[in-house]
Amino acid sequence: MTNLVQLLASGLALGTVYALIALGFVVIYRASQVFNFAQGELVMTGAFVMVVLGGFLPWPVAVLGAMLVTGLLAATVERLVLRPLVGRDVVITVILTIFVGLSLRVLVMVIFGPDQRGMPTPWAMDAQVNVGGARIFLSSIVAVAAGAVALGVFYYLIRYSRIGVAMRATSSDQEAALCLGIPVGRIFGYTWFVAGAYAALAGVFLGMFPRTVDTNLGLIALKAFPVVIVGGLDSAGGVVVAGLILGVVEVLTQGYVNPVLGSFGQNFHEVLPYIIMVLFLMVRPYGIAGREEVERV
Amino acid sequence: MPIRPLVTRYEDDLALFPTRWNKIALTLAVIALLVTPLVANRYWMDVVNLTAVYVVGAVALVILTGFTGQISLGHAGFLAVGAYSAAVLGNHLGVPFWLVVPVAGLAAAGVGLVAGPFALRLRGLYLAIITIGLVFVVNHVLRSFSGLTGGVQGTSVPMLWWFDQEGAADFLGGYRATTSVGSLTLATDVKIYLLFVLLAVCTVWCGVNIRRSNSGRAMMAVRDHDLAAAVLGVSPAKYKIVAFGISSFFAGVAGAMYAFKAAYITVDPPFNMNMSVEFIAIIVIGGATTVFGAVVGALFFGLVRPLAESLANRVDLLEALTASQQSLLILAILVIGFMLVEPTGLRGLWVKLKRYFSTWPFRY
Repeated sequence: MTNLVQLLASGLALGTVYALIALGFVVIYRASQVFNFAQGELVMTGAFVMVVLGGFLPWPVAVLGAMLVTGLLAATVERLVLRPLVGRDVVITVILTIFVGLSLRVLVMVIFGPDQRGMPTPWAMDAQVNVGGARIFLSSIVAVAAGAVALGVFYYLIRYSRIGVAMRATSSDQEAALCLGIPVGRIFGYTWFVAGAYAALAGVFLGMFPRTVDTNLGLIALKAFPVVIVGGLDSAGGVVVAGLILGVVEVLTQGYVNPVLGSFGQNFHEVLPYIIMVLFLMVRPYGIAGREEVERV
Repeated sequence: MPIRPLVTRYEDDLALFPTRWNKIALTLAVIALLVTPLVANRYWMDVVNLTAVYVVGAVALVILTGFTGQISLGHAGFLAVGAYSAAVLGNHLGVPFWLVVPVAGLAAAGVGLVAGPFALRLRGLYLAIITIGLVFVVNHVLRSFSGLTGGVQGTSVPMLWWFDQEGAADFLGGYRATTSVGSLTLATDVKIYLLFVLLAVCTVWCGVNIRRSNSGRAMMAVRDHDLAAAVLGVSPAKYKIVAFGISSFFAGVAGAMYAFKAAYITVDPPFNMNMSVEFIAIIVIGGATTVFGAVVGALFFGLVRPLAESLANRVDLLEALTASQQSLLILAILVIGFMLVEPTGLRGLWVKLKRYFSTWPFRY
């Protein structure tokens, strides 16, 4: 029972990270129909920026600073590389963002070197909380709480703020939005900023105790793809739910199913999200809450 | 401005090399292929052999992505299946290499035909992402059956008969022997070169013929608009699956070639998403929809990597980078620049050039 509670907690923490990353995908995709394969590298960059800022700033300020820096970086990438390609084929933007990600990874490696680093935290690195006999990492609890706050802010931003309304208008019809005086190009920049900031937040919690910060941290985004697909490419609520579910399922599988499967079970939990994704797509090709595409000939 | 000449007879329309310039280009290509093993040293033979693998893999992908419009990031998975079939067939059953190549292709085609139906309901980005899953699942399966595949440690790939002295499959380099044909001594890399050129030419020929045939036109109809194609009596489901099958067959062949060339393979370093991305980059650089574009892109890609590496060895751009990271960075910058400046790829550049000269002195 205590084991189950511990696994559930770390599953929820992982799920929160997935949800934050997937939210970045959805925000960008809804506004500009670009699927940002460089998201994982933004996560990694955010974690490294946090390692640097955490060295001399108080922790909450450093987190906000890391989000700001990574968001600005993402917006710059959008302005320099993606903006000239607005309206191009999906394949082009896919390849472009993949190669942007590759260059970003090389650059981070140049600046920070290949060493692993610990993520700075205001509490002891492996501090645990006793909940009814189960020992839960304090980092996991803070990750879930911070994720909840971030999602709340996102909801408020999208629902009630001027920029949020402009983003929704852009995603529903770019030309109409442009006609109504919404600066669509700048909105793309804002979406990338939001995606970068949330990626940095995900990176901060991803790099905490059991894991370390190194240049492979970005590979997590590969596992956020199934989350995006299961949740639905254009549904923010869908991917949050899917992220939490897949995070918990992954950790529970690692704990309970892997040992049963013998040699096939080695790292089986790493593949499971993809298998779930394939099966899910057979039933609902547009995800939990995605819009079904209606097409005219 | 038409880019192909006016034809008045069906024979001309069907000709593979319709104009005099095509024939001249063909002759030059044949001469270049024959001269290469005479002038190239070991390093460049290696580069050329790898380029041949790229050509086969790129043509395979162009059949799926270029003709049928199915974006696949799972190409590396098919190559992995082909490569490991080659290894298992050679190691455990002692099958000679000329039989390994088609069987590896068939094994990969089997996987492709299983994966194809999953792709029927998906398109665009959804398909691209779900095919990444294919790479992960294939790699996981290959790693977990370590009895056959060597698991994480990897496995050697014997190339039996002609390349080997009577089936003596060593751990490494069992087939590094030379062969004498008359007075000519053929080193291993030259023998591999001859085999690879043969396979690449066959693949390109198949690709071109598929494009000219009924099924190729059906695939392109599905790409341009699958619903409209269905209305016109072309079954999108059938041709998507056929495209998956053909594409994964040639990808399997490319995988077997890769395995033969490397002689020792592991699962993850080569066969991961980066490899799939490289193939996508190849066909986009080439100009995504034609076999010509795929070949040009593969040549470009195969030759730019070593050039970037030698540049990286000479000029130390940044101290902290290794040569391979630097070449990756150069490649990434090149690809990004290409997309921004010339999105139609090398083929588009070629067509523009041709138009410029054929309309000279007027501007098109």
